[in-house]
Amino acid sequence: MSIQYRAVQWNRHKRIYDLLLVAGVVLFIAVFMIVGLTRWQGTAAAHPVTLLMRATSSCAITMLSIILMIGPAARLSPRFSPLLYNRRHFGVTMFLVALIHGAVAVFWYHGFGIVNPIVSVFTSNARYDSLSGFPFQPLGVLALAILFVMAATSHDFWLKNLTPTVWKTLHMLVYVAYALIVMHVTLGFLQDDVSWVYGALLGGTAVVIITLHLVTGVREWRRDSRDEGQAFGEGWIDVGSVDDIELNHAKVVVLRGCERIAVYRHADGISAISNVCAHQNGPLGEGRIVDGCVTCPWHGYQYLVHNGQSPPPYTEKIPTYDVRVEGRRILVNPEANPPGTEVTPASIPSETSGDRA
Amino acid sequence: MPVAETIILAVASYAILGVVFAIWFVFRGVERFDPVAQGGPVSFRLLILPGSAALWPLLLIRCLRALKESPA
Ligand code: HEM
Ligand code: FES
Repeated sequence: MSIQYRAVQWNRHKRIYDLLLVAGVVLFIAVFMIVGLTRWQGTAAAHPVTLLMRATSSCAITMLSIILMIGPAARLSPRFSPLLYNRRHFGVTMFLVALIHGAVAVFWYHGFGIVNPIVSVFTSNARYDSLSGFPFQPLGVLALAILFVMAATSHDFWLKNLTPTVWKTLHMLVYVAYALIVMHVTLGFLQDDVSWVYGALLGGTAVVIITLHLVTGVREWRRDSRDEGQAFGEGWIDVGSVDDIELNHAKVVVLRGCERIAVYRHADGISAISNVCAHQNGPLGEGRIVDGCVTCPWHGYQYLVHNGQSPPPYTEKIPTYDVRVEGRRILVNPEANPPGTEVTPASIPSETSGDRA
Repeated sequence: MPVAETIILAVASYAILGVVFAIWFVFRGVERFDPVAQGGPVSFRLLILPGSAALWPLLLIRCLRALKESPA
């Protein structure tokens, strides 16, 4: 929710998050370097610069793996949501660590020749027609370029001005970057003799990431088919009973197999709004009503439940839906109203009114 | 290997043009582009500089389009 951009919207929570993040990175690299310097000495010793390159690369790939696990993990259990909250800072920090690795590699391995170091990265090994001998460093450069664009466009300014759809697509490239990095590391191993432990770790992590994504994908798909609203004549859709919804909470319903809406129960009755937060598509139906506003569980954007507008001075708007209550059943008109349209909440007949009438 | 040199020259030219454009964009262009950015602090402007340099053709097209729509 912004009326004026700031460089970083810090709050107490984010400060603690960032502090832990930086401390984690420093600790990782320090331990890696100390173990590396003390364990291998004499002829087996690795140069400190080489060690720094390895420490930063291992740190970056660990961070990237965590980043890719946070999304599905938070969907499986809300315990992981605090990590999701500030994932962007995690991503930008990961890029900076990877950048150190890339920069050190370019200057250390290519900086002392007569060929331009950047050109040398692409040409020193020109076996582009070989599979196992394929030059692995250009793959790293490509991955780093993707991570750069993602880090550079992570500010809310870009989210708004590139439109959330373009932004989201751009940030999906993280999977391409991950694939390139896995190849970069694997080929690097094949062309060098590295401990099998490292390879096993890399492979194991990749399997965990893929499994997590598959498991959440199947779960969401099942839940969507279970929570599908039922047609109820004249285009209205029966989305369930008012008794299914706790006060100030919502039920997420899928309309016509694709759109998700959040059906909120609140003091004035029932209201239906889009489930998609205007900020970063967070699941509004998994939030709750705080101070009279639907509050997104991801970063706390707020909307008035009866018109889908952020309270002034904010200007975000999301679509609303017409609702009515028949008996205890909630009926929703699947045609979305334009973002910010006022809809009178459907009042809930009191539980006992049926007996008295 | 001239192929590699040519590609890198192209990428470098793109980046240099991007930086020049971005410096103008983050201090001037952006004001017309997004009302929320008006009067934004320098730290914010510097933070969007790398992205502006990377995506400059896109932003340039949008700026030109905005200029055409509102003939001053
Ligand atoms: C400019 C881009 C890059 C270059 C030139 C580059 C270069 C290299 C080199 C030369 C090695 C072998 C190091 C050794 O002798 O042990 C290596 C390994 C590695 N790289 Fe990169 N890399 C780049 C980008 C990346 C990125 C973006 C990541 C992702 C996080 C990454 C992750 C790794 C990992 C995990 C290893 C194996 C561990 C190691 O030996 O350091 N690299 N890279
Ligand atoms: S997605 Fe960020 S607040 Fe909703």
